[in-house]
Amino acid sequence: MLQCIFLLSDSGEVMLEKQLTGQRVDRSICTWFWEHTVSQGDSPKLQSVIASPTHYLFQVLREGITFLACTQVEMPPLMGIEFLCRVADVLTDYLGSLNEDLIKDNFVIVYELLDEMIDNGFPLTTEPNILREMIAPPNIANKMLSVVTGNSSNVSDILPGATSSCIPWRTTNLKYANNEVYVDLVEEMDAIINRDGVLVKCEIYGEVQVNSHLSGVPDLTLSFANPAVLDDVRFHPCVRFRPWEAHEILSFVPPDGQFKLMSYRVRKLKSSPIYVKPQLTSDAGTCRVSVLVGIRNDPGKTIDSITVQFQLPSCVLSADLNSNYGTVNILANKTCSWTIGKIPKDKAPALSGTLLLETGLECLHVFPTFQVGFRIMGVALSGLKIDKLDLKNLPKPPYKGFRALTRAGEFEVRS
Amino acid sequence: MFNQFGATAETLSKASTLVFRIGTDAHLYDDPDDVSIAPLLDSRFDSEKCEALKRLLALIAQGFEVSSFFPQVVKNVASQSLEVKKLVYLYLLHYAQKRPNEALLSINYFQKDLGDPNPLVRAWALRTMAGIRLHVIAPLVLVAAGKCARDPSVYVRKCAANALPKLHDLRLEDNTVGIEEIIGILLNDSSPCVVGAAAAAFSSVCPNNLSLIGRNYKRLCEVLPDVEEWGKIVLIGILLRYVVARHGLVKESIMFSLHGTENSRSEKDCSDTNSALDDNGDSNGLYESELTNAVSRCYIEGPAEYLSRLSFMNKDSSEFNYARFTSGKNNDDVKILLQCTSPLLWSNNSAVVLAAAGVHWIMAPTEDLKRIIKPLLFVLRSSNASKYVVLCNIQVFAKAIPSLFSRYFEDFFICSSDSYQIKALKLDILAYIATDSSISFILKEFQDYIRDPDRRFAADTVAGIGICAQRLPEMANACLEFLLALTRQQLMTGEFGSVDTEADILIQAIMSIKSIIQLDPPSHEKVIIQLVRSLTSIKVPAARAMVVWMVGEYNSLGDLIPRMLATVLKYLAGCFASEEVETKLQICNTAVKVLLGAKGNDLLTIKMVLIYVLELAKCDLNYDVRDRAHFLKKLLSTYLDSQCLEEETNRPGQHKDSSRLLAENLFGKQNKSISHEPIDHRFYLPGSLSQIVLHAAPGYEPLPKPCSLRCDDPEMDENGDPYVTDDEDSASESLDEEIASSYSSQHSNVDSSGTDGSEEAGSASEDDDNSHQLIQFSDERKNGASQSASDFGELLSNRALESWLDDQPGFSKPNTSEHSQVRTSSARISIGDIGGQVRPKSYPLLDPVNGNGLRVDYSFSSEISSISPLFICIEVSFKNCSKETMSDITLVDEESGKGKDSVEQSSFSDESSTIPQSNEPNLVSVEEITSLDPGQTMTRSIQVRFHHHLLPLKLAIYCNGKRHPIKLRPDIGYFVKALPMDVEVFTNKESQLRGMFECVRRCTFTDHIKELDKDKGDNSLVEDKFLVICRSLALKMLSNANLHLVSVDLPVAAKLDDATGLCLRFSSKILSTSAPCLITITVEGRCSEPLEMSVKVNCEETVFGLNLLNRIVNFSVEPSHPHV
Repeated sequence: MLQCIFLLSDSGEVMLEKQLTGQRVDRSICTWFWEHTVSQGDSPKLQSVIASPTHYLFQVLREGITFLACTQVEMPPLMGIEFLCRVADVLTDYLGSLNEDLIKDNFVIVYELLDEMIDNGFPLTTEPNILREMIAPPNIANKMLSVVTGNSSNVSDILPGATSSCIPWRTTNLKYANNEVYVDLVEEMDAIINRDGVLVKCEIYGEVQVNSHLSGVPDLTLSFANPAVLDDVRFHPCVRFRPWEAHEILSFVPPDGQFKLMSYRVRKLKSSPIYVKPQLTSDAGTCRVSVLVGIRNDPGKTIDSITVQFQLPSCVLSADLNSNYGTVNILANKTCSWTIGKIPKDKAPALSGTLLLETGLECLHVFPTFQVGFRIMGVALSGLKIDKLDLKNLPKPPYKGFRALTRAGEFEVRS
Repeated sequence: MFNQFGATAETLSKASTLVFRIGTDAHLYDDPDDVSIAPLLDSRFDSEKCEALKRLLALIAQGFEVSSFFPQVVKNVASQSLEVKKLVYLYLLHYAQKRPNEALLSINYFQKDLGDPNPLVRAWALRTMAGIRLHVIAPLVLVAAGKCARDPSVYVRKCAANALPKLHDLRLEDNTVGIEEIIGILLNDSSPCVVGAAAAAFSSVCPNNLSLIGRNYKRLCEVLPDVEEWGKIVLIGILLRYVVARHGLVKESIMFSLHGTENSRSEKDCSDTNSALDDNGDSNGLYESELTNAVSRCYIEGPAEYLSRLSFMNKDSSEFNYARFTSGKNNDDVKILLQCTSPLLWSNNSAVVLAAAGVHWIMAPTEDLKRIIKPLLFVLRSSNASKYVVLCNIQVFAKAIPSLFSRYFEDFFICSSDSYQIKALKLDILAYIATDSSISFILKEFQDYIRDPDRRFAADTVAGIGICAQRLPEMANACLEFLLALTRQQLMTGEFGSVDTEADILIQAIMSIKSIIQLDPPSHEKVIIQLVRSLTSIKVPAARAMVVWMVGEYNSLGDLIPRMLATVLKYLAGCFASEEVETKLQICNTAVKVLLGAKGNDLLTIKMVLIYVLELAKCDLNYDVRDRAHFLKKLLSTYLDSQCLEEETNRPGQHKDSSRLLAENLFGKQNKSISHEPIDHRFYLPGSLSQIVLHAAPGYEPLPKPCSLRCDDPEMDENGDPYVTDDEDSASESLDEEIASSYSSQHSNVDSSGTDGSEEAGSASEDDDNSHQLIQFSDERKNGASQSASDFGELLSNRALESWLDDQPGFSKPNTSEHSQVRTSSARISIGDIGGQVRPKSYPLLDPVNGNGLRVDYSFSSEISSISPLFICIEVSFKNCSKETMSDITLVDEESGKGKDSVEQSSFSDESSTIPQSNEPNLVSVEEITSLDPGQTMTRSIQVRFHHHLLPLKLAIYCNGKRHPIKLRPDIGYFVKALPMDVEVFTNKESQLRGMFECVRRCTFTDHIKELDKDKGDNSLVEDKFLVICRSLALKMLSNANLHLVSVDLPVAAKLDDATGLCLRFSSKILSTSAPCLITITVEGRCSEPLEMSVKVNCEETVFGLNLLNRIVNFSVEPSHPHV
């Protein structure tokens, strides 16, 4: 079981410590951890489980804040990691976003939250809606009140009813004047295009996001027109397994507000909506770069927010890159990003330029990978379609809204 | 991308965010010391206390030591404000262990809070009380946890479960039984949330007490999908352990079929499963059998034990009992476990997915194993943080059964955003799952990876190609081609990129080539020649050394190599001086090997070269090289001496001398005998921390020994017979009973809501206890019903009541299903005439032997002192047993008497009759007995103030001027006075004194038997047995304590001879504090036998209540004193 949780700022400063069990963990472990991470190079992509000389450490990095948990005994490591992720989620939810100042400014709330979320190293209450009822999130009204009256309590006096209900994710006794529910399909396309320009892997990672504002305890049923395309699924705890096993229907009592109902994966797609063709030829200490971007398969809606990003190899001394459309930026860490936006009708966007290699190096033999970003509103590229959404247990029919969105996930083009 | 190590934009623009910080606690975090905290803590206002506490928290957050404020903070625990409470708890938990004495001060408040109507307050109090971890209060915490485990609020019960590991951490032996018992109760809870927490407690308190799981196994499986996610993770592991311990491993699972493939003598079953797997996997190598064998053994034995055993004996000879397997197709327990865990593979929580996958990995039939593949791969995509852990586990699965993942090789293609560790893991997995159909795609990928800017990763890729080639011999040539091309390219570019990482790639490439050649040396002759040719351009010492080694190793291979040996050696000798140490050593070795295998013309040249090389080596700067040269020279002296050599060659038939033999053995055909290294991989259970860090983390336990749990069924042991359902049912039933009976003797109760339909009458007491727990309306019903019944009862005579009872035969069936009826319907009777029979028990104060013939007895009277509530009235009787008249008998307080020896006794008694002094024990109104005739008895009523309700008071009796020291023992039964009230008030009061204020004990009561026997002889009047029992019980109570009998409830539906359900209520209040003290006695058992009775005391003062309870139990057990 977890023994201690530390919150570290992006400079390695310990902002908070919360001891969980009788075995105190000295905060010097954070110093060890920080030196260890620094020695691993300045990459933020760190191992999530580290065995230090005295403790096993789990770490999750969110927005520059390191959530560090320590244990000395055997426990499922994913439990520690998932819990830290949950803490990060809840804090983001409470504070709006995550950064050093927000955590310091609201440290009392963070303490109270941590105390509710974990007891003796074992998660206690992690359901956001119960937490919200137990400990009030900081909001403007509260802040103003506390300034004026000099007195505020964010600790609730009563135990939220949901703790004893069989649907702990839903707040009891909700009432809305306007009942509405929105269902969004948000998809991310992962693709790998290898050096020969072949699409090696192309798949969709999608989420069904629901935003529900419904009174009482509604019972929803969501069905897809073509559930067969789904390769694998994961569900929010509210989804009942049986109907899905039998008929591939999502039957659930939703939590209140925004939540991720389900995530799914669609594998082995045949094509990508856009193409990116990089070409690097090197000779006599210089390297010519040219990148072409265009639409391969028109999805029927506009593709926007197109970006191409790549890391210049370390042997490149300087770069001179220009584009006929959009803007090119080279950052200090040798990351080059090309922001295109929408593809114009009249011309194909192209980036070209030369890279100067370090002295003595005739030609380039390591090649960067291009990360592509894009967004298409109104289309789910996996082809998944929502058939219908039925609602039961509601006094009057609510407003139902559906949307779809596809964006690039890990869309990589190798050169 | 957000940079973790640089200053962020946010930190730089602190000033601009100042606006948003208004109203937050920012100022407290920035300047926690700003104001002096101490006065704020003592403030009357909650808001100021809050501020002080927040400042303290800020200091704790920043790592300062602020335990000096502890006493002041503890005081605030009494605050009514929940926010103050919460903050105090946060502080308290942080420092309690450092300041145990001060922490104890807070215990009373927690006790009080435990009875609070607000479940949040109760839960917090329990959490904090358990969290301060003091040995002294452990018994209190245990009682509190037991109470909270029966709390109506789910949240409180959950906290009770969480409190148990805290208690267990204190390592108090006497508590373990109690803790495990509470866990048993909680595991049986109706709410899945509580079950989850109980599972967590179980796994940290008594993970090996699997019989506790056996009782609830099916139910636990059924609630598993509803348990909250964190509980699921733990519960899955517990259920797995239980099934392994109970039924052993599954025959159709991977754990068994591995043993099957290894030992040819095994049953037919495994060939079936093998073919089953063949059908769905397009693999050639089905299992890496040896490896998987190691996997399953490691799971059961733990790697350390397994490996140490391996090193001692041949692994084939191990006694792995094949009977310790069960059939997954017939075993319900296994089936239900797999059924309940498979939907969990869809969970949003990756830890749950991995735990469920682990169960399937160990338990599921191999053909069902593919169910876990997609969920595991999906976790990789959906959760970045858990990627590494999941990959580590997939790596083991894939190594054991490559065919499992071989179709999904694309999922392991590497993204540039992966961290190095993840890339390395993916590469390893890719190399292991490659098949003939996928290898071309994988090699294509690998070629891309080699050009990746991360050179460490590129080197690993080269190693991966080597593994692929070894696994798939058909592809070896393609891999080899590619590697050779790579070395050529590396050699070309290597001159510029003289970085270490580039060298690594080259070394890896040569190593991979070497390992491919080792598979089939004759067919790769040309490759060796190619490498040798490129020796001029290979600059990396390690790579050079390897190529040189290959020359020596394969010197006699094919036709071409022997012909070029002389030239190669000459070249090597030429550049010997400029080589690195490792290459030099290899050159020496190679020259010797070549010499030993050389024939014909080259022999002389080679000998010359060797001599030259050894001469050079003898003068080398490095002592390793020098030693090697000396050693070789000595060893090969026969060869190197030219005459001898010629002689030898002339006389081939002669036997070679020993050193030569030695040399041939040392440098001869080593490559033939590449011993298969035993696998020393360490495998730990899937999903465990140990598997990630690759050593057994403290607390890691392998699976329990198969069938170690209650393997008393001989058939199952011997034949591995499919398991018989009836057998199992009866077994579990007997277990049920066993546990249930142990429960009733431990006074704990089981939530009776659903499970105890089959429970025997013996455990009915539990139901009775439960009735207090039941919701309000049932109480009301009880009141209503008994109200009318009591009126009725008062109207009727005892006889009528008896006949009325007889007239209701329908009620009196001893049917267990009617227990609810029994509980709610009862008749109230009054035994008003009992007062006269009450005879307070008298105790001797002074023996006639010790007191010169004066005998003094005392008994507590039920009168109430008129002076002060602190005084107890006692009747003292003085009897003269001697033949002479006694005079001047007086009783004085020993302590105060000492100081006043000289004072006249009469005046002393006068003085003491005035206002009592507050500190001293006092004696009031002792009237002096001027003379006592022989045989005469005189009684005096005295009033005494005891210091403590358990400590005796020292007094002295003066008689005839002689002092007799005596000790007056208090009786706690008279520290209370009767408090008349009716039943409604009683039940009302009782409901306010729940939780910590309630204590229960059981005892047996036998007094009534004597009474009943007496009646038997006297036929004329057959008294109702119930009345006799009631009377004797009430009499017992009233003659031993100053109580008011509130009510006597008779169970209406009871059998004639069954007293179960009889309930007596007494009320009283404590003299000193006038806090009410309620006593309820519930009886069970047959009328004519000793009765089991449970005594319950509800009292605000816990300690007093407990002592009173003990007293009641003690005197109830004592045989009654003879009636006067």
